[in-house]
Amino acid sequence: MNKTRIVGVFDEENSLLAAVNEVKKEGIEINEIYTPYPMHEVIEAMGKKTRFTTAAFLYGFFGASGVLAFLYYTSVIDWPINYGGKPTNAFPSFIVVTIILTILTVTIASLFTFSARAAIFPGKVYDQPDERSTDDKFVIVFDKPGVDGNVEKLNAILKEKGALEVYEKELNLKK
Amino acid sequence: MDTRITLSKRFHYAVIALMLFGAAVIAYGFITHPERAWANLLLNNYYFLSLAIGASFFLALQHISQSGWSSMFKRVPEAMMAYIPYAGIIMLLLYFGMHSIYHWTHEDAIAHDELIQHKSPYLNVPFFFIRLVIFFIVWTVMTRLLRKASLDEDKNGGMLYFEKSELLSKIHIFLLAVTFSFATFDWIMSIDVHWFSTIFSLKNFVAAFYHGTAVMVLIVILLHQKGYYPSLNKSHLLDFSRYIFMLCIVWGYFTFAQFMLIWYANIPEETAYFHERWHSGFKVIFYVNFAINWFLPFTLMLSQVTNKNIHVVKALAIVLIAGQYIDLYEQIFPTILHAPVFGLMEIGFFAGFAGLFVFIFGKALASADLVPKNHPYLEESLHHHLH
Repeated sequence: MNKTRIVGVFDEENSLLAAVNEVKKEGIEINEIYTPYPMHEVIEAMGKKTRFTTAAFLYGFFGASGVLAFLYYTSVIDWPINYGGKPTNAFPSFIVVTIILTILTVTIASLFTFSARAAIFPGKVYDQPDERSTDDKFVIVFDKPGVDGNVEKLNAILKEKGALEVYEKELNLKK
Repeated sequence: MDTRITLSKRFHYAVIALMLFGAAVIAYGFITHPERAWANLLLNNYYFLSLAIGASFFLALQHISQSGWSSMFKRVPEAMMAYIPYAGIIMLLLYFGMHSIYHWTHEDAIAHDELIQHKSPYLNVPFFFIRLVIFFIVWTVMTRLLRKASLDEDKNGGMLYFEKSELLSKIHIFLLAVTFSFATFDWIMSIDVHWFSTIFSLKNFVAAFYHGTAVMVLIVILLHQKGYYPSLNKSHLLDFSRYIFMLCIVWGYFTFAQFMLIWYANIPEETAYFHERWHSGFKVIFYVNFAINWFLPFTLMLSQVTNKNIHVVKALAIVLIAGQYIDLYEQIFPTILHAPVFGLMEIGFFAGFAGLFVFIFGKALASADLVPKNHPYLEESLHHHLH
């Protein structure tokens, strides 16, 4: 959506966090935060919670059961062969294959889940409000219409908490 | 913060009662069933030694990785290490029970068995005890030095002891890797003298680390519930749980790898080991071993919710006390006694040794401040916070 945004650029994670907390206290809605590296505090402060681990667990569970079922089907039901007098259901020797394929399942399924949720695909042009957030700056973005009468106050808070720059810009972001 | 733990009268009575009960059963055992008694002596002494070794390895890892979060708990593994010299003295008693435990000490076996003859330059009684003494000297000296560096840090402060502990820890884990491997070969693997496994020492080393950590966590939680360590929080618990989780996977990996390769290759001289552990009533123990030491902790510790729940972690640590016993029982008992036995004697031996271990541990823990004073990362540990 193309809107006028207010962009704050910070030099340090601590001043960014202080600004985030202060802004939240005032009840101003944050659009998005861009950091050079993942910061759990930011995810927490924005009230977001990941269900990624649950998804990964389910992939692992169904991956492991699927692989075991497949091995059982192929070597016991569909095509039983006598290998050196071993029982056709050679369960201990299934385990290694199961571990490896479970890891593969979880990895690939998680990759696709993450890509789908984050709307990332090959050739995508990434929304970048301020390119310095890929370098060493911490960038926080607000919608100007959403902030309404609080623009002055917001600018003051960001400046007070140590923002290097605060500027307005027309940006086409997801929200 | 500089609270010293005080051992109550109740603690003393309980420990002395355990030791007296143990002593009575041990005396009864040696008179009536000497063979079973020797197997029990080896199992229980090795059991508590492995906890001490595991704790010392945990402590060394904290020093080497310069971990901050665990620094306030380091007196607990330090106190657990105090058992090592006592284990050494008890291990020396094996001299009188060699014939009951180790087939390779029998004269006629040496005379007629080519394999034992072949192994005899290594496996003979004098060399066995020379090695045993060397192991215990190395462990005692290294753990004493680590403990001394820690106590000196309390007195004098500064970065010197922090760095010294790290250096000592590096030496300690190197020596431990070599000596403990041979120790497990000597004491446990040589019971089945015809059988060998190259992963054996790793498996037992991990088991020691695993259960040593579990018991350490249990002690920390018990102390917390008694009112010590008030700053123990969910983040500490999560880290402890992750240790248990990680070690349960490594334990399962090594134990399963040893079994799977032997099962798959199906070479008679190797499968004899598991034949004995599958076909004389021990098969249940084989499965229970995997269930308690791998399946239960693995499924229970998958979720962060259970990881941070002090009651779940405590219950699991208590179950793992039995876990190490079952693991060792499966390794030691089948070859010596040929049929599963469990009765008053096993309980009495375990109670006696547990009493001794807890007594030595308690004395060592009470002899220094429970929270180290001048550790550079102490503040980090007191306010540990994970996301």
